[in-house]
Amino acid sequence: MTSTTVDTAAARPAVPSLRRLLANSGISLTAVTTATILIVLAVTDFILQPALLDVTELGYLAQTALPLVLVGAAQTLVVLVRGIDLSVGGIMVLANTTTAVWVGEQGGNHQLLVFAILGLAACAGLLNGLLVAVGGFEPFVATLGTWTIFNGLALKVLPTDGGAPPPSLINFVFGKTAGIPNSFLVLAGVFVVWRILRASKLGTRIYAVGADEERARLNGTSVVGVKLFVYALAGLCAGIAGVLLAGVASSGTPTAGDPYILTSVAAVVIGGTSLAGGKGGIGLTMMAAGALVFISDIVTEVNLETWVSVAASSGLLLAVVIVRSLIDRVAERRSA
Amino acid sequence: MTAGIADAAASSAGRGGSPAGGGAAVNGLEITGLRKRFGAVRALQGVTMHAQKGHVHALLGENGAGKSTLIKILAGVTRADGGTVTLDGAELRLGHPRAAAAAGVRSAFQELSTIPELTVAENLLFGREPSLAGRVRRRRLRARAAELLAGFGLERIDPAAPVGSLALGDRQLLEIVKALREPPRILILDEATSALSSEDSAWVLRQARLAAERGAVVLFITHRLAEVREVADRITVLRGGHDVAEGATAEFSDEQLITTMLGRRMERLYPELAPHAADALLSVRGLQVGARVGPLDLDAARGEILGIGGLQGQGQREVLMALAGATPWSGGTATLGGEPYRPRSPEAALRERVALVPEDRQREGLLLTHTVRSNVTLGALRQLVRHGFLDGRREGQTAREGAARTGIPADRLGALAGTLSGGNQQKVVLAKALVGEPTVLLLYDCTRGVDVGTKAEIFTLMAQLAAAGTTILFYSSDLSELVHMCHRVVVVVEGTVRGELAREDLSEQSILRVAVGTEEVAPA
Amino acid sequence: MNPVLDYLRERRTTIAAYALCAVLFAIATIHSSGFASASNIRQLLVFASFIGFAALGQTLVILAGGLDLSVPWLMAFGGLQLSNWTTHGMGGVLGIVLVVAAGAAIGLANGYGVAWLRVPPIVMTLAVGGLVQAYLMSIGQLNSSGNQAPRIAESIATDRLGPIPVVALVWLGFAVAAGVLLSRTALGRRIYATGASDTVATLSGVNVKRVRLVTYMLSGAAATFGGVVLSGYVGSTYIDIGAPYLFASIAAVIVGGASILGGRGTYWGTVAGALTLTVLSAMLPLFHLDTADLEIVYGIVILVGVALSRLGANALQMSRRGGGEEKPADPEVVDVA
Repeated sequence: MTSTTVDTAAARPAVPSLRRLLANSGISLTAVTTATILIVLAVTDFILQPALLDVTELGYLAQTALPLVLVGAAQTLVVLVRGIDLSVGGIMVLANTTTAVWVGEQGGNHQLLVFAILGLAACAGLLNGLLVAVGGFEPFVATLGTWTIFNGLALKVLPTDGGAPPPSLINFVFGKTAGIPNSFLVLAGVFVVWRILRASKLGTRIYAVGADEERARLNGTSVVGVKLFVYALAGLCAGIAGVLLAGVASSGTPTAGDPYILTSVAAVVIGGTSLAGGKGGIGLTMMAAGALVFISDIVTEVNLETWVSVAASSGLLLAVVIVRSLIDRVAERRSA
Repeated sequence: MTAGIADAAASSAGRGGSPAGGGAAVNGLEITGLRKRFGAVRALQGVTMHAQKGHVHALLGENGAGKSTLIKILAGVTRADGGTVTLDGAELRLGHPRAAAAAGVRSAFQELSTIPELTVAENLLFGREPSLAGRVRRRRLRARAAELLAGFGLERIDPAAPVGSLALGDRQLLEIVKALREPPRILILDEATSALSSEDSAWVLRQARLAAERGAVVLFITHRLAEVREVADRITVLRGGHDVAEGATAEFSDEQLITTMLGRRMERLYPELAPHAADALLSVRGLQVGARVGPLDLDAARGEILGIGGLQGQGQREVLMALAGATPWSGGTATLGGEPYRPRSPEAALRERVALVPEDRQREGLLLTHTVRSNVTLGALRQLVRHGFLDGRREGQTAREGAARTGIPADRLGALAGTLSGGNQQKVVLAKALVGEPTVLLLYDCTRGVDVGTKAEIFTLMAQLAAAGTTILFYSSDLSELVHMCHRVVVVVEGTVRGELAREDLSEQSILRVAVGTEEVAPA
Repeated sequence: MNPVLDYLRERRTTIAAYALCAVLFAIATIHSSGFASASNIRQLLVFASFIGFAALGQTLVILAGGLDLSVPWLMAFGGLQLSNWTTHGMGGVLGIVLVVAAGAAIGLANGYGVAWLRVPPIVMTLAVGGLVQAYLMSIGQLNSSGNQAPRIAESIATDRLGPIPVVALVWLGFAVAAGVLLSRTALGRRIYATGASDTVATLSGVNVKRVRLVTYMLSGAAATFGGVVLSGYVGSTYIDIGAPYLFASIAAVIVGGASILGGRGTYWGTVAGALTLTVLSAMLPLFHLDTADLEIVYGIVILVGVALSRLGANALQMSRRGGGEEKPADPEVVDVA
């Protein structure tokens, strides 16, 4: 009881007080470690190329991070409810190719078509949700199946790289608003929307379902409803990633999705969101995605070969998970 | 009361007698003919009871009497097969936890329903978060939670702390605060005091009383009779899925309550036990498992059946799991046949011929999607290998022997374990433990949810094994089994041995007296 | 219960996978009789065998409740490393043995991370795969002779023994070995037990960690060997040579009737899965369907296959419920006396 709490606090004063401090300020220890990784890499990059300390330059860097951030956000949502979504790559290319072909060929009302495409992406996500929450499929298997279906559909829309995304989209991606690169605005937008969701009742439900479905149900949550929402929203995020990628690349690429699937999982894990569900958040994934982008930027800058970048990202992933697993084990032993 | 229920009650022990007639009872909670079965097990067989508004109504019964099924139905977690539940004359729809909550049923569960990853504030106000346009107002949430906690005199709990970081007792208190955040129409307190100190228990009893005074029906479930005396106005006793007695608390003496809960039992169920050898085979000194168990000492002789008794959740499981190598020891020593014994894994324990039969056969005992044969031989694969390959003939033979020994029908060896009845499943778990010819057999509540016939077979087998020199450590949540099947019982309370009862002193009352006592159990 | 029926019921998903494959093959043959020609069948077997090697370890890992995402990189490793060593004069059988051993060692790292460090399989194998990829990119630069596949790999991949391709025979040998391992050895039983429930397996005396370690090790070895053969068939090696086999190896396991959660399935089922995927991809052009359609069909086959095997599992669940899941003590105790 109370006495126990006091005892343990007295026995281990340093760490809990730090924890307490962080908890009171609403920041988790995980967030601090992920932010540290990001900052160290960013500072390294800035030292190597001081030219990067310029709004426009940073804007370009942010641009390359956009698709990964959004796919990472999609993956985070699904992982939070103890799932995994391999189809984010498929949804992404579906949105990407349709943007490049349908919207590009169409004159006039681009915005409406883009919204229709995003709606399609959300429906694709909803299909995953239905398979998982209503059909009872394992998330891995359900999204493995839908991944290739979406990939196939994307290939039907656009068999090889090409198409012409609308100039307005390209202009938007490369443009600035009030002196701020639009890529920044998108990143900020994702974060703000996430914070709003996190702070909403629905946000609490998402965490509850991820932590313990049975208890969430006991507390009156509709587990199926929450999952449908989460998968649909993940589809939407992946769709936005695809649309933006069309803008960044100025063309449609039907094969662009696959690398993002596993990289998004890596970003989620490096960020500190637990694959067991209920812990973490999109903010963490955004920081991790940033870290990965800085790694590849540093490698390019120093003129190292690409393999160094691959090795560094994988090494970071491995180091982070192993250290976290060791910390967990120590904590477990202490609490036992 | 309906005639059927009356019959069932009449066939058993003395009923307290209650004048509550069906027609008069429109005020309060009226449960009529509630039925529920899980497969072959009939958990509730037409329970009828009436609990008045403004009363604290104690629900008593042994483990498995049907209490938890009853309250799970009330809380909307499980659906009843039949029967009605009305509150103030209006029927309650209880299909889903949300429906039950909407009907004003609030429960503090024994298995905590708070979500460890969320903060105290988020848990307390789950579903009732103060929000503005869908956005939870975090500061106000925290403030309101603090207010709520302060209202219950629990200022010491930090609303911003994750529930998982709280001590078990505090989590239990939170459960109750959560149930009481709006005035409930029905308040269910399920073993709400089981993890609490006497001070906190007193707090819970006060809350129960207060809620009743504010017009709620309070259903209070506990093992501590002293608490019943202190707080309950009326009592309903359940046994074997029937309501066997109902009446005002004053109408029952403690002894009466205990007899009513236990009923008269079939003595024939239990075989004679042979006397055991005098030399200690297994000696445990100062065993500690995590923070919950220890220091604990045990001695068990060759061929002895030693009961590890007491109320549920006092650390019996941890003790047996530690001896089986499944949970790491945090301290203590043991010897097995004179040699030091401290298994690092179940594999190591089995090599020393110490085998465990766990309680939860579906999760811990059986590979449900595998055949009975491969389940039985799983524990003895090493003995079945010849020239690097499994010897199919020998495996078949081992499985058949195991089946014969435990009474598994031989034609079921090829069937999937999941398709067997509960009784046969338990026999498979037993057979698996026995293929390695253990010298020490650890039985953790292996008769739970098992039909009488199988129970009798298991008991006979236990007696035979003991007579042949196997030492058996036996925990059962059914006290009569401990009384009849043990040479000796050590009663475990809060992870240490509180008392020891020799065979001649064994009775359910004597075990209960040590475990619960009329004296308050002080927190460790 | 009839033991023969039990035997068949236990293997119904495997049988269903072969039935599916046979039906597809029949459809293709009816449509175009050349599909059943000896040369086409040989071709199908060779292509299927590559999936078969990649999916061999994947089957073992999945059966034990894990997942191996490093398979494609290990396949690339097999081809590139052997080619690299061959240019340094260390080719031949010894080279193959060494490269497969190295693949096993990489698998060991996967297993260690999963079993001892308790890193989720997806993450561990993803990270190790990434490191292997990085390593290959680094040696790729140094490999001056181009990435010619070594002769020995070519001869395994393209030689024939009478009418039958050598690869197919090797695959058959692997399949028999895996079948025996899974059904006739203690390790096989432990793999199934671990995947079905690691709690039950541990409490029954199975060293779950060691079992996991071995499955990842075998997966590393099998994928590396598959990569060697694949490079021999293609004639040259490149870093993305294994890329299609991540999906194919997992899909073959699932179509073959194994549960992605572990504990249920056989390698013979995976063989059927590999054949099914290969037949599908070979027959679609006959119906004027392209790669895009193939992907869509793959996805549908996976979802339908899993839905069907879930129906079987549900039937089991129903009867399990009949076994009585809750614990109330038996009421009859009171009255039987």
